[in-house]
Amino acid sequence: MLLTEAASREITRKVLGSVTADDAVVTVDSLDYSHLRFAANTFLTSGRREGVSVRVTTWIGRRRGSASTTDVSDAALKQAVEDAQAFAKLSPIDVEYLPSLSQQTYKPGGGYVDATARVDLPARARQISEAIAQSEKVKVVGAGFHQARLTARASATAHGNFHYERESLVGLGMTARTPDGAGSGYFSRNHFDVARLDTARIAREAIRRASDSRGARMLPAGAYPVILEAQAVADLLDSGGMSFDARNADEGRSVFSLPGGATRVGTRLFDPRVNIVSDPWRPELSKFTAADDGLPAQTMYLVRNGMVESLRYTRFWAQQKNRQPSGPLALILEPSTPGVSVDEMIRTAKRALLVTRFFYIRTVDPRSASVTGLTRDGVWYVEDGEIKYPVRNFRFNQSIVLMLGPGNVDQIGVPERVASSEGGIDPLLVPALRLNAFNFTSQSDAV
Amino acid sequence: MIRREFLKAASTAVGAATLAPWLLEREAAAAAEVDAVKSALAEAALTRARVLGASYADIRINRYRSESITTREQQVQNVARSQDFGFGIRVLVNGAWGFAASSVVTADEVRRVAQVAVDIARANAAFQRKRVTLAPVDSVTANWKSAFEKDPFDVPLDDKIELLLALNAIAMKTTGVSFVNSSMAWVNEQRFLATSEGSRIEQYLIRGQPQFNVTAVNRESGDFQTRRSFGGPQARGYEYMEKYPWKAEVQQAADEAVAKLKATPVEPGRYDLVIHPTNLWLTIHESCGHSTELDRALWWEADYAGTSFLTPDQAGKLRFGSPLVNIVADRVQTTGLATVAYDDDGVPAQRWYLVKDGIFVDWQTTRDLAPLIGRKTSYGCLNADSWGSVPFARMPNVSLEPGAQDTSLDELVAGVEKGILIYGDGSWSIDQQRYNFQFGGQTFWEISKGKVAGMMRDVAYQSRSTDFWGACDALGGRSTYQLNGSFVDGKGEPGQVGVVSHGCPAARFRQINVLNTSVSMT
Repeated sequence: MLLTEAASREITRKVLGSVTADDAVVTVDSLDYSHLRFAANTFLTSGRREGVSVRVTTWIGRRRGSASTTDVSDAALKQAVEDAQAFAKLSPIDVEYLPSLSQQTYKPGGGYVDATARVDLPARARQISEAIAQSEKVKVVGAGFHQARLTARASATAHGNFHYERESLVGLGMTARTPDGAGSGYFSRNHFDVARLDTARIAREAIRRASDSRGARMLPAGAYPVILEAQAVADLLDSGGMSFDARNADEGRSVFSLPGGATRVGTRLFDPRVNIVSDPWRPELSKFTAADDGLPAQTMYLVRNGMVESLRYTRFWAQQKNRQPSGPLALILEPSTPGVSVDEMIRTAKRALLVTRFFYIRTVDPRSASVTGLTRDGVWYVEDGEIKYPVRNFRFNQSIVLMLGPGNVDQIGVPERVASSEGGIDPLLVPALRLNAFNFTSQSDAV
Repeated sequence: MIRREFLKAASTAVGAATLAPWLLEREAAAAAEVDAVKSALAEAALTRARVLGASYADIRINRYRSESITTREQQVQNVARSQDFGFGIRVLVNGAWGFAASSVVTADEVRRVAQVAVDIARANAAFQRKRVTLAPVDSVTANWKSAFEKDPFDVPLDDKIELLLALNAIAMKTTGVSFVNSSMAWVNEQRFLATSEGSRIEQYLIRGQPQFNVTAVNRESGDFQTRRSFGGPQARGYEYMEKYPWKAEVQQAADEAVAKLKATPVEPGRYDLVIHPTNLWLTIHESCGHSTELDRALWWEADYAGTSFLTPDQAGKLRFGSPLVNIVADRVQTTGLATVAYDDDGVPAQRWYLVKDGIFVDWQTTRDLAPLIGRKTSYGCLNADSWGSVPFARMPNVSLEPGAQDTSLDELVAGVEKGILIYGDGSWSIDQQRYNFQFGGQTFWEISKGKVAGMMRDVAYQSRSTDFWGACDALGGRSTYQLNGSFVDGKGEPGQVGVVSHGCPAARFRQINVLNTSVSMT
C-alpha cells in the first residue's frame, strides 16, 4: 500500500499532535514491492509485500529517544510517541543535537511513473518465461530476478517542515550458465519507467556472454590494462570502499586525510577528466531528493576535473566546520571530455582484459581505499582491437583512488544508469573505463 | 555532562521513570487471548487459500522487537527501539509458489492477502516448467523459547548506556587511542507458524550483538589503525554483557590498536598459520557453510550469491579437507544464532555432518530441496528474516569439531618454525563458487621457532577452500572451542539477512599464501 501525500501527512499530523517533547521528527515510509525469481530455467519464488513503517525521534532537554512501529492505528502511533519520549528522558544529553528543520524548499524529483506501479502479473510471468525459453533454445541455464518497487517517504518536524516524495523502480537481472558450468554471463538494468526496461535485451546480453565465455583460458595473475564495463565500475563505486565522509577525513581516518591533520580537499587526486558529482535530479537517475530528516539534497561536485572539491557533511559536522550540509548523495561519475563507447575502447586497445562485473568487494585498507574482490560472469582478452578469447576469473586487490588516479585512466565512456550487481537496486550513473593498470593478485577457479 | 552526574540528576528529575509497556507486553498478559487471535487469523488465511485452490499453504504471524544503542567516546549517538509486526502467506498452486505479506494484521486483510498470494502463484503456474514437491513432515503443536537467562528488553536503558560509556572510557584512557565506538543491538523474534498440514508452532528467540571498535591515529604520519572486539553476536540475553570480560577486552583492544601503528609490516609469502576461533569462524562460514548449501549447488542462487564448487554427485566422495576436519551443521547448539526448535517449514531442529573425516558427505536442505537429491526428509533449513520475506534455504550453525586431544593454543604454536598467529575477523571476500578466498584479521603475531615473537600488520591470507582445509594438520581441543557468528549473512533475491553461529577450536594450517595489504598513497 503506497501512501499518498495526504495520507502520509495525516499520519505525521497525528504523531506530532501527541508529541509533548521539545522537538521531534517523524518519518513515514510506505512500500509496495513485488518480485519474481527464477533459476535452473524454472520459476522459484514470487511474492508481494506491502507495509508502512513510522519512526518518531524526540528530544527533551536535548536528550534523544527514538521508536518505530508498523502499526498505524491511532493507539499504536500514540504508543510510539510515548516510547520515544520515555527513551529521551532516560538518555544522556545528545551533544550533537541540532533543532529539527523548519520549512525547507524542495525542488521536485522525477522518479515516479504510474505505469510502473501497475506491473501486470501475467505479463511479467510471460516476459520471464520468454527469457527462459531463449535460454533453453541456445541450451544455457537461466537464473534471474525481476522486481518492482514503489516507495513513498514523508518526513515532518515539530518546527513545521513537511516533505513527501515517491519513487518507482522496476528491474531485471539475469545470469546464464552453460550446462557444463564452463561459461557464465550476466546482465542487469533497472529504471523508474517500466517502458524503459528492455527485458528481452537483458536476457539476450546475459545469454550471449554465457555462450561467449566458453573455453576460457587461465592467464597469470598480475597488473593488466583493463576495459571495465559500466557494471564493473558501478560495483566498485558502490562497494563503500571509498567514503566521502567529511568527518572521517577531518578525524584523520580516511583516504581523504593527510598527515598533519589536513584533508585532501583542494588536491588533484584523480585524473583531470574525472568528475564525481551528486545530482538526484539528473533525468536518467531521478532519486530521492531529501534525507529522512527532511534535509534537501543539493547538486554538488565531490571531484571536479580530478580535484577533490568537497566532502559530505552531516548537519552537525557542517555546523562544526562552517560548511553546508550535504543531504543524500546520488552519485555520477562523468568525464570532462566526450565519452568513448566500449566498442571504441576495444577497437583501439593494444592489449586489455574486458571485465563485465566484480563480485564480493570488501574493504581491505581504508587508508588507501583499497578493496579486494573477484571478476565474474565474463572476462575476455583483447589484443590489437579485437576480442581474442575468454579468460578465467581473477581475484583483485586495488585502490579505487589510485585506479582513477592521474596516469592510470586511459579512456572514459558515456555514463549509463547501472545498479551494483551485488544485491544493489539504487542506481548510479557511471561510464565504462579503460585503465592502464588493474591489479589481479590471484587466479580463481570459479565460473 | 559525564555519565555519573547524569545519573544523579536523573534520579531527582525523573524519579522512578519506567518505560511504558509495549503493546506486546499488554497482549502477553493475556496469552491465551493472543494465541486465540493468531489461531483465528491463521484459520481464516489457510481456509481462504484452500478454497482458492492451494494444495499447501502456511502463514507466519511474526513480531520483531529490536533495540540499539550506539555511542562514541563519551556521547550516546542514538538509542532506538522498533517493533515490526505483520504476516506472510505462502501458497502452492498447481506446483508453483506464491507469497504475499502485509503489516495490517486483521481477518479481512489475511483473506485479501491469501487471494494475492494465490493470484501470484496461478499467474506463474501457467509458465512453470517444474512443479514444486515437498518432502513430508509430521504436523506438530509446540511452544519454545531460546536459552537466555535475562531478557535484554527488561534491562534498564541506564545500565546498558553506563556499560558502553564505561568501555569507551577505558579505551580513551590509553595513550595513543583517538576514537572509540561501542554499541549493543538486541533482537527478539516472536514467531507463529501455522500450516495447512496442521502445525501450530510458536517460538520466542533472543539474540544480541555487542561490539566496539578502537581507533588509534598517528596525525603526524597520517596512519591509523583499528582493533574491533573479538566477542561476537550470540543467541544470549543480557547475561552475555555480565559474564563476558568486556572491560578486559577493551583494554587489550586499546593497547593493541596503538601497538599496530608500530607493528612490523608482513613480508608476503607462504607461512604456517595458527588461527584463533575469533578469526577462523568466518573462514568456516564462507568456505564450508556456503559451499554446502544445496540450493547453491543446484544453481538457484546463480544470479546473486553464486553456485558451489560442490555438486550433488560428490557427496561421500570429494576430499574436502584433511582427515582431521569434521564439519557439523546444527540448529540445536544452545547459544547458536541459527538455533530454533522448528524451521519455517515446521521441520524439527537437527544436527548432522557436512564433512566427516575430511570427506564431504551431506547438504543443507529444506522440504522443497530434499526431494531433488532423492532425500525423504528435510534437515530443517528454511528461514525468513521477516514476516514480509519469502522463506528459503538459510545456513544453520556450521562448526568445526575440536580435536580428540585437548591440545592447547600454545601447543599448536610450538609446532611452527615460521608462521603467524591470527586473532579476530577483518576483511573477507570469496568467489562465487567458494573456491578462492582472502581474509584479514584484527591482530597478527609473528611465530618464530615455536614462540610468539612480536606483532605484525597488514596481513591477509589467501587460499583455495579445499587446499586450505587440506593443509589443516592440527586442531585445538575442546578447551579452545569458541562460538562466534554473524548478524548479517546476506543471501537471496530479494536479499535477506540471516543470523548464524560457527564454533571451532584453534587450528593450524601449513604453508598458506599471505599478502601485505598496505598500499602507499605517495
